Amino acid sequence: MIQVEHLRKNFGDLTAVDGVSFEVRDGEIFGLLGPNGAGKTTTINMICGVLRPDGGRVLVDETDIWIEPKAVKRSLGVVPQDIAVYEDLTARDNLNFWGSLYGLRGSELRRRVDDALSRVGLAERARDKVKDFSGGMKRRLNLCMGLLHEPKFLLLDEPTVGIDPQARLAILEVIRAAAASGSTVLYTTHYMDEAQELCDRIAIIDHGRILTVGTLEELTRMAGEGEMMRMTGSFDEATARARLEGLDGVQLHSVEKGRAMLSVAADGPGLTVVLPELLAGDLGVDDVSIQQPSLQSVFIRLTGRELRD
Amino acid sequence: MVVLDIVRRDLTRFARNPVATALMFAIPLSMSGIFALVFGASGEDQPAITIRVLLHDEDDTLLSRMIQGSGSDPEMDERLELVTVGEEGYQMMEEGEASALLHIPRGFTDDFLAGRQVDLEVVKNPAQRFLPQVVEEGVSIGAVVLSQSSRVFRSELAQIQELRTQDEFPADSLIGALSVGINQKLRGLETYLLPPIVDLETVTLTAEGEEDEGGFNILSYFLPGFSIFGILFFAQAATRDVLRERESGLLRHLLTAPVSVGQYLVGKCLSTVVVTTLGFAVLIVVGIAAGVAWGTPPAVAALVLTSSSAAAGAMLLIMSLVGSQRQGDALTTIVIIVWCMVGGAFVPLSQMPGFLLPISRATPTYWAIDGFVTLVQNGGGLNDIALNVLILGIAGLVMLGAGSFVLRRRILSGAV
Repeated sequence: MIQVEHLRKNFGDLTAVDGVSFEVRDGEIFGLLGPNGAGKTTTINMICGVLRPDGGRVLVDETDIWIEPKAVKRSLGVVPQDIAVYEDLTARDNLNFWGSLYGLRGSELRRRVDDALSRVGLAERARDKVKDFSGGMKRRLNLCMGLLHEPKFLLLDEPTVGIDPQARLAILEVIRAAAASGSTVLYTTHYMDEAQELCDRIAIIDHGRILTVGTLEELTRMAGEGEMMRMTGSFDEATARARLEGLDGVQLHSVEKGRAMLSVAADGPGLTVVLPELLAGDLGVDDVSIQQPSLQSVFIRLTGRELRD
Repeated sequence: MVVLDIVRRDLTRFARNPVATALMFAIPLSMSGIFALVFGASGEDQPAITIRVLLHDEDDTLLSRMIQGSGSDPEMDERLELVTVGEEGYQMMEEGEASALLHIPRGFTDDFLAGRQVDLEVVKNPAQRFLPQVVEEGVSIGAVVLSQSSRVFRSELAQIQELRTQDEFPADSLIGALSVGINQKLRGLETYLLPPIVDLETVTLTAEGEEDEGGFNILSYFLPGFSIFGILFFAQAATRDVLRERESGLLRHLLTAPVSVGQYLVGKCLSTVVVTTLGFAVLIVVGIAAGVAWGTPPAVAALVLTSSSAAAGAMLLIMSLVGSQRQGDALTTIVIIVWCMVGGAFVPLSQMPGFLLPISRATPTYWAIDGFVTLVQNGGGLNDIALNVLILGIAGLVMLGAGSFVLRRRILSGAV
């Protein structure tokens, strides 16, 4: 189990991580979902021991990584957000080197390298230099390096950024297989669909703070059973606030010039009553989109804005 | 083991990129090749340096012709080319056709014999540095000899001057008396002049069984400094990788494995030493082909390894301090040039101004160059360079340790 307790990190005046706490239970895929700049990578870097926290601690199987760094690192497999492979080496050279760092040698190393290359579909390109690979192939090799020593804990920092849907699906499949074979996975992403598809539990992080943690069901329940509405138009903030806050059964989450986020309670008058009122008035609404409860609606409820913001 | 894995990876990368690796060696090796070609083996095939001197003799008498004859000595004949000229000699000097012009003024012999002040004029070619000075020194020595002769043989010279003014041939008795007088003075001087108390004997030492190759190998003077210049450039090229790995995220990723910053830097240092040693091996071959005697293999190996360690340590320390690859390239180049200049790579240590020596001794380049000078020029052995090896080894370790400390601190704080 990975226990993250009150982690804190400042870069000058900027607080990147502000008292983050969560735990990743053995055998689960735990997602850390948040927008860019939320503090996901900083948190991962502190968990894997390459960034010293200003406060708090990380326990991996009850061992503090800053007290027993080498022992803990042996149990971790880290796949960084940036593609960190040696482009002037072949895929096999990269994996041979990486495996040797974890003490793999000889026939065992060869077997693991062959197996890892096959799993990510790079067996036929094993002898090619990485600089000739596509972005997706490099990502897969990046993933391979984290999986090679069959770590107990797999830490993946946005491993699907910038690749095509097919390569993304292949990567997610490999991660599922790793989890199925017993690895505990901590997965950071800003893609909600990935978190929904892959993760057993999800923590939502924003501005360096964990906003909530739970299973997908728990989180969507938190979003409520009503619909989320997103309105755009020519209204100004004060007018919209005055009109929307007065509506029965409507909860206003955020409002600014030309845009508002609100939810309609399931036990209230309902959309059939609220929607005509909004459109009939002189508010200047151009468009209304309605969403079913999802991680997006959870994020909106918690932060007042959409995740892509 | 992790350290060796890092070394193996780096060497594999060099092997997988033969063109980039060759380019890394290109600058120092091409410079050494040019030096070797220019200065050649021991200079046997090269023409001897001859000093061309124009002689403008307005006096044209016995004494001035004796001065002209001084260049006809067989040994001098190889080194000195005396060309008799008139007024056009000055124009020739303007055009740089000789190293110097010696002007013997009209009445020189008369004034000399009469014991009056005489002047010899040397016009030097400003475009040349050393050869005109050689002429000036030679003429000033001749002037001293003539001045002392004038004083010692004052009365005899006065008689000779008187004889020159007579129309008829001098009587035998007069010439005999003059000769006897000169002879007696010479005998009197013999006590003081002959035999010389201090004699100069030049002996060239050669190893047993070897023949004296003779000649002067100028590459032996350049090569120690140049070798260190090369080592520093090899080290710069090899350690540049630290910044590339840092900027690409490879280093941070590497440190998620059970690898410490210290192990990483020691691995980098060792692979740099291997690369530097390989590069240096080529320099050794170039030197041997050019006739340079490097010294005993254990001494050369010890000096190359510790010099490489110090160079790698210094470069790694700088790479740990800077913020970007561009900064690293600029700073390491500045350090290399300054250390080479102050440390004696470009100016022989023996020619270094006194005030600069304490500063020079504070640089690793000084100790490395001093060691190579001891081996190459003075034929020293391992014992003679023990202090150099010790200082370079310690300097390498200290700088590597400092680099490791700084880099670890900066990575963990998130500064890089």
